[in-house]
Amino acid sequence: MAVLKVLQKDELGKLLEELKREFQIVAPVIRKYGKKERVEYHQVEDFSEIHLNRQPDTPPKKYFLPQNERLGEEKSGEPVVEPGDRKTLIFGVRSCDLKAIDILKPVFLDDDFTDTFFQKRLENTVMFGLGCSERQDNCFCDSLGINPLEDENVPVYMYDDGEKIWFHVTDSELEKFFTDFPDGDPEELEKMKKVWQEEFEKSAIEIGVPIPFPELVAFNAPFWKEVAANCLGCGICTYYCPTCFCFGFFWEKREEEIDKWRTWDSCMFPLFTKHGSGHNPRETQEQRTRQRIMHKFSYHPNNFDGVPACSACGRCISHCPVNIDLRVILKTAEKYLKDEEGVKSSG
Amino acid sequence: MDKYLLPHKGEIVKITQETGSNLNIKTFRVRLIEEEARKKFKFLPGQFVELTVFGVGEAPFGFASSPTQEEYFDISIKETGLVTEAIHNMEEGDQIGVRGPFGNNFPYEEIKGKNLVFLAGGIGLAPLRSLINFVLDEKNRDQYGRVQMLLAFRSPEDMLYKYDFSNWENSPNTTVKYTIDEECEGWVHCVGYPHELLNEELDLKEPDTVFFTCGPPIMIRFITEELRNSGIDPANIITTLEMKMSCGLGKCGRCNIGRHYVCKDGPVFDLKQMEQMPAEF
Repeated sequence: MAVLKVLQKDELGKLLEELKREFQIVAPVIRKYGKKERVEYHQVEDFSEIHLNRQPDTPPKKYFLPQNERLGEEKSGEPVVEPGDRKTLIFGVRSCDLKAIDILKPVFLDDDFTDTFFQKRLENTVMFGLGCSERQDNCFCDSLGINPLEDENVPVYMYDDGEKIWFHVTDSELEKFFTDFPDGDPEELEKMKKVWQEEFEKSAIEIGVPIPFPELVAFNAPFWKEVAANCLGCGICTYYCPTCFCFGFFWEKREEEIDKWRTWDSCMFPLFTKHGSGHNPRETQEQRTRQRIMHKFSYHPNNFDGVPACSACGRCISHCPVNIDLRVILKTAEKYLKDEEGVKSSG
Repeated sequence: MDKYLLPHKGEIVKITQETGSNLNIKTFRVRLIEEEARKKFKFLPGQFVELTVFGVGEAPFGFASSPTQEEYFDISIKETGLVTEAIHNMEEGDQIGVRGPFGNNFPYEEIKGKNLVFLAGGIGLAPLRSLINFVLDEKNRDQYGRVQMLLAFRSPEDMLYKYDFSNWENSPNTTVKYTIDEECEGWVHCVGYPHELLNEELDLKEPDTVFFTCGPPIMIRFITEELRNSGIDPANIITTLEMKMSCGLGKCGRCNIGRHYVCKDGPVFDLKQMEQMPAEF
């Protein structure tokens, strides 16, 4: 049975103090870098720092796939102590970032090679979702079939109406934390969601490209040249991406031992695929940009039940130094693939 | 502990200098040190392994010996980059990290009863040697039909596995031909690129024949074209591809050709599959 609870914003600390007995709390907070303010996920002690007003600049991916992760001692074969048993609660995760973790699951929990690091972190983490009361900078999750106001896979999903926070609690074990707070009126919440939903619909873009892109036709399409023309290959899109999961190994000498680490890597970098012989199957930036987009919208959905490796959070668009816009790429692909289809069916 | 990400320890028990000075290829015989790991380590022809030089790095190599040799495996390595250079500087008795085996394998079961043709160029013979020695092993030989080989090298100096040749030649129902790029003194075998010699030197028309080829990409391209032109079914032309495989688990993102990950879905592919894959390798 689900319950609906409403907290005044100043009561949030009380709830989180209780939750802190069982979990370490991670939430979006503001961090200042010079004059620039960024919203990032961090472990919080002072709950007044929590900032739910906008999409965090970086996704919570690092709590499942840390940017740098020590795997173990290479020589002795001793693995690191796996992530501890202390449960983590990530507070206020929007639908796009929730979906992104779902996208990573079949990759790292596959039957052949289950990644125990990812698995353990996933088991030890609970996420509280957060609905979006308005469209964020460049996001379009609704165009990819993601609901910015609901997610069925989290035990608690929240709505922030500016004054109060609504908690839709579907996990009976977590209900105990909410008993002191008043019930909310489901109709009032539905009304509010409807208003937000309508606002989303007004600014929605239609993505009609077939997903997965047909592999060979899309791969051989001429538009990649145009799409990748400005790309610097800086890889910033992959580092902000909630679903990019390419990685590399590196080694660090420590006295007599050598530690093996895993680190985020990027298909946008030329050395990523370069062979020892000097041969590089993805030598040009055009090939590498194509790889990134094709992986997300063709190869990945072909391998994983039609689901693209993109949750349309829009961060790659916000952060690209040369204004490459994923929405434009998808529209370009849509036009080309539809025309191709037209040519085929008329010919 | 993540058993796929950290290596087992192996000992280099034997090093064989394969080639002359112009192409530096050595074969390293590796034996896993821990008994339990050695027992569990089961590989098949066509698979590959990640070798670690401690403190230097890791790189992928195809098995060059047959799994019928259970105590050890052979890896033939051409010196090309950091890791291969470090391996070449190692000595017998040194330790090396071993992760694997990874990838799919040559269809050694499905080809039982069929005739086999092996077309190799240079160090491309290494992964084929695993299957050749498996097929020609006394225990297995009668399960396979006629075996023909055309082994191409740049020059006599660049030949590898010379110590195997008499075994192969003397195996029942087996013919082995050798070719080098240019005529040279004392050479009594064929001269020329392998794709030019296919029709002349081999019997391609025998029904129920499966072709295995590995070598430089350009050689694979010409050979497969020639075989296709001779009317061979692309499903019966099998090769093994090489990319910068790193994790071996189909995850790290370096070795995909379209949706296929060479480290997991490959490295063995037939030409029919390859014709459906983007040309990015």
